[in-house]
Amino acid sequence: MNNFGVIEIASTTTKNTPGWAYVPDTGPLPAALQPTNRKRAARNQPALSLSDLSAREETRIRKDLEALDRDSHRDANITIPPRPGGSRAQNKHTPNVRKILQSQKTFANHLDDYQALLALAESNPAAAAAMNAAQAKPSTPIAATPKSASPAPTVAPAGGGSRRSAAAAKRAAAKEKQEQEKKKARQTPKQEPDPETEANNPQQQEDQPDVEMPDATAPPQPTPTPNAEEPNPQETQSSYPRESLILPAYTKPPPRPHPGDADPLLVSYIPPFPSDDELRELMTAPPLSYLEARAGWGDEQRRYPVRVFCAVCGYWGRVKCMKCGVRVCALECLEAHREECVTRYGL
Amino acid sequence: MAASRKSRASGPPPPAATFVLDNGADTIKAGFVTGNKTDAPRIIPNCVARDRHRKTYVGSELEKCRDFGEIAFRRPVEKGFVVSWEAQKEIWDREFFDDKAPQRCDPSETRLVLAEQPNALPALQTHCDQMVFEEFGFYSYCRGIGPAFNAYQDIQAIFHTPRTPDTPVDVPAEVILVIDSGYSHTTVTPIVQGRPLHQAIRRLDVGGRLMTNYLTRLLSVRHFDMRNETFIANEMKEAVCYVSLDFKGDLEKTWKGTRGDRRDDYLSGAGIAKDYVLPDSHTTFHGVVRDYEPGVSARARKAAVSTEDVLTLRNERFVVPELLFNPSDIGMRQPGLADLVMQSLSALPIGLWPGLLANIVVVGGNASLDNFIQRLQMELLERVPDECVVRVARPQDPAISTWLGAANFARHEHVERLAVTKQEYEEHGAGWVARKFAAGLGAET
Repeated sequence: MNNFGVIEIASTTTKNTPGWAYVPDTGPLPAALQPTNRKRAARNQPALSLSDLSAREETRIRKDLEALDRDSHRDANITIPPRPGGSRAQNKHTPNVRKILQSQKTFANHLDDYQALLALAESNPAAAAAMNAAQAKPSTPIAATPKSASPAPTVAPAGGGSRRSAAAAKRAAAKEKQEQEKKKARQTPKQEPDPETEANNPQQQEDQPDVEMPDATAPPQPTPTPNAEEPNPQETQSSYPRESLILPAYTKPPPRPHPGDADPLLVSYIPPFPSDDELRELMTAPPLSYLEARAGWGDEQRRYPVRVFCAVCGYWGRVKCMKCGVRVCALECLEAHREECVTRYGL
Repeated sequence: MAASRKSRASGPPPPAATFVLDNGADTIKAGFVTGNKTDAPRIIPNCVARDRHRKTYVGSELEKCRDFGEIAFRRPVEKGFVVSWEAQKEIWDREFFDDKAPQRCDPSETRLVLAEQPNALPALQTHCDQMVFEEFGFYSYCRGIGPAFNAYQDIQAIFHTPRTPDTPVDVPAEVILVIDSGYSHTTVTPIVQGRPLHQAIRRLDVGGRLMTNYLTRLLSVRHFDMRNETFIANEMKEAVCYVSLDFKGDLEKTWKGTRGDRRDDYLSGAGIAKDYVLPDSHTTFHGVVRDYEPGVSARARKAAVSTEDVLTLRNERFVVPELLFNPSDIGMRQPGLADLVMQSLSALPIGLWPGLLANIVVVGGNASLDNFIQRLQMELLERVPDECVVRVARPQDPAISTWLGAANFARHEHVERLAVTKQEYEEHGAGWVARKFAAGLGAET
């Protein structure tokens, strides 16, 4: 059959209704549904298309997973038995507590509520804020953790990236200025100006363009600050991590030198350790939401095809049942499967 | 409670006892920490159960239950978070707060350290805070992320790192990666100095319950209907399941072969097949694992000892825990555990990788599965740069590891910085408390 390179793909819009599944209507022609010849109608129907099968497969998998995730096979509706020693004198519950105790919500309900709240916050921040205030609920974790509320006054973790880029921009601007000055001023020493001092006195530079700035901005030896923004990978590190306030340095003597240490094939490279600022930012980041923390299904996982197993014995699923698409390993299992092969819609 | 209101007015000195609670989906781990003394935690089933005689058991009453056939459970904790406070309050009341409770605790005289799962829904967190203060009335309260509490243990002892005996134990551990594989799900949490790195916490929705249900399904297809026997299937899972180090090889060994060509490995069992004798609910109430006897066909055995039901477990033994490493085997669109670790690491600067990879601690009930850590180490080594040292270890008793960490945390000075007293709660409200717990310890040491 020539499809002109068109590949059918399964629709992802399947609804979970007991006994029903919405699948794209690519099935038999209307004539096949109401055949004029009623003899052997079931047998004369055309074979199911690929999209039918895969949509059916997906529905089956989804139902399977939902069943596996449930706590019990039956819906257990267990009422809490009365206390053996007679019920304790009923305390008066606070309104909040009464509401919580009477709530019949499941986790799925709570999750839906939360998503709805997030969607509302995205589309209409004012309304969401009002709702938050009215319900006296805590703000969503993404909405952030005001630093004033944190127990210890933390160093404001300004976005490391933005700060660095700002510093870089400033540096670039200053360099341009220096280029212009070069024409008038004497030869500038080829030394990288210290970004910190520069960041501190850009005003000064603008005010007095005629003064020999290069000298001023080039101190004899820039003192390495512990919070240096850009870790220099070439720098030989005596301690790992480098000087840091958050993680104490490794103080024990390094391992015995080995003759192969300098061998370019054997030498191991240690990635630069994150600076204190980066660490601080990581440590104070707000929690992700429940759904964000769920591990994703990325390209890495799509690289290899999913393994399939025999539905009967659990060995590799090497053969597909032509009726329902279930995998089995060999003829013996296929026969066992055929005995109970049900090809009802969406099952 | 009335008692708590009285105590607040008088303003007594802070109580000495801390009640440490790890409220898991399957079991509660609870115990007191007083001064430098830590009692061993009690492990209480966190469920209301009903057996086939319609008798109901709440929490630790389940010990009295003899016949676990067709037992049904109602669990207050769903997906790791307390959802049904009606049931949870009943269990807590009976275990801790009643006059004749086995682990009597006076909330107004006690501080509470409660472990919760990461990435909770804010609404559920608020419920928890409100219940703790408004219903139970604890003196003070600290809600922290369970995996992060593991950092307050002597981590290097778990790894058997060689060191001189007088080395001081650094608590919290500087850099560790905690994998918490529990009843509801499995989480990966990188921790630096006791602070979880929230941006890199990842969750895989495969836990003990899913594995038990999967085993139940496999048995129902291949042997007989066990769908109502979740408890028995769970016991079976704990007794016989193991993580395979050579999945393909093991699967090959357990295959029966094509018709007329039975494999020798299948007939002899190849060291994998085990017999499991089901409880008959009259004389025996727990299943027994037996070595597979080759040569005796199932029918012959059935004829010989007609009173017992024997299941021969072959690939069920390792296919079930395989879900942790390959959830796509049942069509789940999630990565395996090793890829989960890599996803978590990829959210962090590479400079942290060596430290995290060399200190991977696996806690939670599933960590007790045989070969779990070996398999994880094997899979991680395939994925990380060659230079990285990968060490994976599990504590002596992985199920109570989080509790032990939390108990150490209760003695650490960090608890003072996080805990919220009832007075503060009444003054600032639930929103303030939630923000304070969400902010955590901050970055300052």
